[in-house]
Amino acid sequence: MITTLIDSPVANVANIARALRTVGAELQVTRDPDAIANAEKLVLPGVGSFIAAMCWLEENRIDSAIHAAVANGASLLGVCVGHQLLFDVSHEMGTTAGLGLVRGEVHKFEGSLPVPQIGWNRVQCAEGGDRTLFEGVENGVFYFVNSYAASNAPDEIARADYGGPFTAAVQRDRIFGVQFHPEKSSAAGLRVLRNFVSWT
Amino acid sequence: MDVIPSLDLLGGQVVRLLHGDFAKVTAYGDPESVLDSLDVPRGSRLHLVDLEASRSGRPIELDVVRRLAKRDLRVQVGGGIRSLADARAWIEAGAAKIVIGTVAADSPAILREIVDALGPDRVIAAIDVRDGIVRVNGWESDARATLAEVLARVEALGIGEALITDINKDGAMRGPSFALYRSLQTKLRIIASGGVSTLGDVVSLSRIRSVGACVIGRALLDRRMQLAEARARVATPNAIPERIIPCLDVRDGRVVKGVNFVDIRDAGDPVECAARYEAEGADELVILDISATDANRTTALETVHRVSESLFIPLTVGGGVRTIEDFRALLRAGADRVAINTAALRNPQLIADCAREFGVQAVVLSCDAKRVNDHFEAMVRSGKESSGVDAVAWCRQAEELGTGEILLTSVDRDGTNAGYDIELLRAVTSVVRISVIASGGAGALEHFRDAIESGGARAVLAASLFHDRRLSIGDVKRYLTGEGIPVR
Repeated sequence: MITTLIDSPVANVANIARALRTVGAELQVTRDPDAIANAEKLVLPGVGSFIAAMCWLEENRIDSAIHAAVANGASLLGVCVGHQLLFDVSHEMGTTAGLGLVRGEVHKFEGSLPVPQIGWNRVQCAEGGDRTLFEGVENGVFYFVNSYAASNAPDEIARADYGGPFTAAVQRDRIFGVQFHPEKSSAAGLRVLRNFVSWT
Repeated sequence: MDVIPSLDLLGGQVVRLLHGDFAKVTAYGDPESVLDSLDVPRGSRLHLVDLEASRSGRPIELDVVRRLAKRDLRVQVGGGIRSLADARAWIEAGAAKIVIGTVAADSPAILREIVDALGPDRVIAAIDVRDGIVRVNGWESDARATLAEVLARVEALGIGEALITDINKDGAMRGPSFALYRSLQTKLRIIASGGVSTLGDVVSLSRIRSVGACVIGRALLDRRMQLAEARARVATPNAIPERIIPCLDVRDGRVVKGVNFVDIRDAGDPVECAARYEAEGADELVILDISATDANRTTALETVHRVSESLFIPLTVGGGVRTIEDFRALLRAGADRVAINTAALRNPQLIADCAREFGVQAVVLSCDAKRVNDHFEAMVRSGKESSGVDAVAWCRQAEELGTGEILLTSVDRDGTNAGYDIELLRAVTSVVRISVIASGGAGALEHFRDAIESGGARAVLAASLFHDRRLSIGDVKRYLTGEGIPVR
């Protein structure tokens, strides 16, 4: 099955592409809405600001293409800001609606630790949650760069702690999101990508 | 681990004595307003020292204890408690526990009498130690018993907690005595006291198995740290691993290594080195381009690109970055973060500009610091020339301008294998909140521990030690794990 990587200008697409190819993905990198709408397996990357990423999706009709693909039964993995885009709403610089594919809201980290979080953090799978994505790395350490995150999201499958618990990964039906950077998380990150790529 | 605020009382006021001298008093006001200003929450433990009582040998500040106990604080009080009558007076005033020093060390019979009458849960044994010897009578004389004997006796009486102060560290703001606490063989819950001055100190203490709490006085009163922040940091001290970062100094597409930034020798192919390090468990890789000329800059970009092609950990690149365009070129070549040094010292605004353009997470301040008399100066041109700027103040300014992290290299230690400069690290980590990467001087396993534990570094960098395979990254990680420091 071909994996379709959404070629967002507000993402480090090259790094994720390289990591996906390394774990055996047959990759199509595109920003064509039709190709995205017809994809069976989608990866939505993102770095930087939520609002810039969301604007780009809307202006290029990629938001509706993603919805169409999901409605057709495609699986989807959001990475970092791509993960945040899956939620209902983000409170980064005002309030911006996301894709609404998973439930919950994205907030700025509160508490006393320096923001952004830059570095490795331990990710704990939720008790009884879906382990598809984390098979083999159920208690892994992953690399994060983020100032915002969801917390206690209803679709949370894994969490981490940064001055308080936050949602490290979500899953709803065939939609997955990871707040960390699997492409920078060495073997554990590659394992997560492999789990997604080989999942049917 | 519990973090317990500590107040010294004299004449009903919160005070601090300079070097224990009753003639040199700094007053902070009445206890209630001090507690309010420190945001000490209800239900908190509070450590009080009655200075006049320790001098006169009878309880003086009973009224303060009465008032504070009513505020729902769990007060523990010490100062010259030499008899059951004194002990009882404090408990009757509302103290939850009494802190007993000289008697615990030197008068086993009285200690037993107090424990029998009031119960072991009411007693904290206070043991003051200088160079491994227990000191009594206001630190004026040696105790008759050894530290091990005092600990065993206290434990045998059923007392659960011992407050252990390293006299040499107390009030010095140079950090607590980690080695002392780590060396203790006891089932007692240790309350660490003396020298706790940074958030890093609190986190490091929480990682030592026998330490159950620490008391903090001066650092809270002087606003060097917030109680709530300290408590938050130790709530999950092991969630965030400390990082081991190998560094490749690269010139003309080859890895090289020099001592004190001179005397350069060849050490291999960067792509091979990088892959080996990731396989060994490196958490991140730093490449410093030390080629001096523009002509070689293109080569450096190619090297970065080649390395990033097969690397799945974060890559930081520095060396010769002068403009926002240099910065952008390195990110495009595959760097995740870019370190700026000389150019930022000449134009601090470059930090803010890069942070705005690429995000704070992409900006690393590389600060080469050299000891000059009693302070550190930020060096430029690969450590060869002083900028005249104070390195600690510069790090702080860079944090405000928008650097995500500081790579702090001791020019004096670089390449010497004599250990990281802990004083330099403490000077910087105590004034910034962002992570500091310790660099320069790694030569043995304990150097890595000390940089993190005493220096407050959140990452440790080494070059020659790993190149020459005197230690592997795995060796360092196994060692740190054994020392209670979390790694990936």
